[in-house]
Amino acid sequence: MTTTLTAPVATRRRVLPRGFAHGGLLLVLVAIVVFAGLRTDSFLSTNNLLNVLRQVSVVAVIAAGLTLLMTAGGMDFSMGGNVAVTTAVAAQMFAHGQSIWLTIVAAILLATVIGLVNGVVVTFTGVAPFVATLATATLLDGVALLVINGLSVSIDDQLSPLGIGKTFGLPHLLIVAIVVLAVIAFVMRYTTFGRDAFAIGGNEDVARLSGINVSRDKLLLYGLAGALSGLAGIMLLARLGASSPGTGGLQLQLTAVAAVVIGGTSLAGGKGTVLGTVLGVLLLGVVANVLNLLQINSYYQQISVGAVLLIAAIANLLQRRRH
Amino acid sequence: MTAPGTEVVRARGISKSFGGAVALRDVSLDLIPGEVHALMGMNGAGKSTLVRILSGAQNADDGVLEIGGTAAGPMTARKARKLGIATVPQRRELVMTLTVAENIMLGDLPTRTSLVRWNLIGKLARQALRDLGIDVDVNALAGDLTVAEQTMVEVAREVRRGGRVLILDEPTACLGAEAAAQIHALVRRLCESGVAVVFISHHISEVLALADRITVLRDGRVVWSGLAKETDETDLVRSMVGRDVVSTRPSRKSDKSVTGLKIESLADGRFIENLTVEVRKGEVVAVLGPAGDAQSRLFDLLSGRRRPERGHLEVAGKRIPFGKVARSLDSGLRCVTGDRRRLGLIPELTVDENLMLARDRLDRRRLHRRDRLARRAAPLRDDYRVVTLSPNPPVGLLSGGNQQKVLLAKWLGTEPVACLLEDPTNGVDIAAMADIHTLVDALATNGVAVLLASSDADEVMRLADRVVVVRDGRAIAEYDIDRITRDELVAVALGGAIS
Ligand SMILES: Nc1ncnc2c1ncn2[C@@H]1O[C@H](COP(=O)(O)OP(=O)(O)OP(=O)(O)O)[C@@H](O)[C@H]1O
Ligand SMILES: [Mg+2]
Repeated sequence: MTTTLTAPVATRRRVLPRGFAHGGLLLVLVAIVVFAGLRTDSFLSTNNLLNVLRQVSVVAVIAAGLTLLMTAGGMDFSMGGNVAVTTAVAAQMFAHGQSIWLTIVAAILLATVIGLVNGVVVTFTGVAPFVATLATATLLDGVALLVINGLSVSIDDQLSPLGIGKTFGLPHLLIVAIVVLAVIAFVMRYTTFGRDAFAIGGNEDVARLSGINVSRDKLLLYGLAGALSGLAGIMLLARLGASSPGTGGLQLQLTAVAAVVIGGTSLAGGKGTVLGTVLGVLLLGVVANVLNLLQINSYYQQISVGAVLLIAAIANLLQRRRH
Repeated sequence: MTAPGTEVVRARGISKSFGGAVALRDVSLDLIPGEVHALMGMNGAGKSTLVRILSGAQNADDGVLEIGGTAAGPMTARKARKLGIATVPQRRELVMTLTVAENIMLGDLPTRTSLVRWNLIGKLARQALRDLGIDVDVNALAGDLTVAEQTMVEVAREVRRGGRVLILDEPTACLGAEAAAQIHALVRRLCESGVAVVFISHHISEVLALADRITVLRDGRVVWSGLAKETDETDLVRSMVGRDVVSTRPSRKSDKSVTGLKIESLADGRFIENLTVEVRKGEVVAVLGPAGDAQSRLFDLLSGRRRPERGHLEVAGKRIPFGKVARSLDSGLRCVTGDRRRLGLIPELTVDENLMLARDRLDRRRLHRRDRLARRAAPLRDDYRVVTLSPNPPVGLLSGGNQQKVLLAKWLGTEPVACLLEDPTNGVDIAAMADIHTLVDALATNGVAVLLASSDADEVMRLADRVVVVRDGRAIAEYDIDRITRDELVAVALGGAIS
């Protein structure tokens, strides 16, 4: 009898495509793309689409790290600040004639150390991740301004292969983002480290009692978030060609958090998918682009972005509840 | 309006399914004021689903509900409460970060000009607890209480709110004899005052002693319903399980000379005073005490969650430092909690994932594939007879008993050298209980040193070779199990004469 009971459930599972859990979000995204395609001539041009993807690459890299971290019940609000510091330091190193590779390695190392410091504070003092990293975020934004002395520091075209280069028509920034997303998705799905993240986010006590080295995993997760911030910083510097006051920082951070949360990753931990995050990042990128193309007044732009966020979050939730 | 003897709740043709899985089909139930109506059935039979429908927590797909003689229509939790249906669900629903007093008064905080009256809250809550003879500090945080205390607090809350129907879903599952007796007395008192009580329990003797009427569910159907005095243990077991269940002590003749687990002079505040227990390989030693007493603290101390004030721990002759989970695990010591929701399982993760949570980490497995995971977990599912309606649901959706089996399988599938089992059959049905008892027997036969922390004298009689009785944190007696009868053991555990 049990077999007849399970049969319909099992077949239904198999028929559904993988991304179904994000159906609501996908729907909103498709609706906006269709709308944009109808209302503007330029939106669906290859050039514009590639441009959107190039622009969201930086957020995607940050959001990827954040997805894994938040799934483990962590939070890093300082990734945007970390990006700001990394771009500032890298820009200054270029300005002082350091070589490209040394600069990149040093910047990412620095970012990793910053992430680890967050990790140490969160893991060993028990300060809530939100509070600890919000504090470091503010601190890092200040440090970034200090490093560039409040002025714009140009790097000329030293990183332009990364910033505007393409291979097979794909922007290099996009390729980097795709690789990062793929690696994080793989880690979350197929490695014990990734599964540990789900366990820790689900119930830290149970995870620890089950033999998971929770402290080590947390340090690694915050370190990884830092390293990816560093990478994102280099990418942003390559795209902009300069580090200026306000590069990176809280605005970037909030976009990444919004993308991750829209994508269905739980703020409380224990749940999260890279696919959801990708959809969240794309949604935000596309909305910003469409509003620009439609030449909508920037106040209305902000209002529209907020509205879309809300709709996407609700669509996601309704869809999940029905499931 | 309801005359005595007529139903206060009439449920007819209730059906409910989750996805493709049927949890209840065409169930009818009558509740009569002044009667204790027991629901019995195996894990997953649908008992909790039925009472969740009565209390408005879930909606039936089909069927009608009449309350006080009138059709109730679609129920909500609010409406049920207004109609006088109070429920203590199987899963404890206290707000763990609030105090006991606030929990008891929740949703009903006394105010004066919309300001909360704190001292009145404390007074009313204390009164509610005192009425039931419960000794719990109203200023303690709910999360700091033992499971037994949490149960009592929740019962007190529902009783205080009053109503004509009180639903208790396995209130005694994790209580010792003493606390359970308190609940029984309370149920009888409420019945006398005309309340209709729904009582869910897996303990047959308890149900036969307490209930006026019994309804047995199997696979979501009512298979028997009638007066308690018209049935007996064998018949009940047969209608619940569909066959007879026998669970007898095997005789263990293994050589019990090697020490597997040794606890020496353990002391931790007022909870444990100078406890020394030695368990040899192949032996089952029980520490029996009232729920929440010394035996309930062993899990925290042995698993490495907490460092005691004093004491030594040895596993297979090797000293194990306290306070380090990894060292405890490396030594081959496995601690199975009695609080599976808080310390045992991760509800959002799937059954397979939970089953392999510890084993994969102990194996230092790095990569992980879902289909392989299912294959690795399959033997455990079979051995422990974990029943799920869909192939691999989140463990939080399983019935309580099946969750317990997952928890045991998770730990005992990791080749333990010694293990601590805290109330291992908490909430499981009699068939599963027999299965689990057989599994524990097998552990001992395979040379594992088993320490059983229990508040259930029957379970101790069934499983243990030796028993240490604790009270108020101190060991008060120790017996070989064949030197004492069950009744003597209960008498000692309840504070009777020590012979
Ligand atoms: N929300 C849900 N989603 C899917 N399945 C569910 C859900 N709630 C219950 N079930 C399934 O319905 C069946 C009946 O569950 P229920 O909790 O009523 O059992 P029970 O008789 O109370 O068992 P136990 O004695 O173990 O508490 C189980 O197989 C359970 O897995
Ligand atoms: Mg139940």
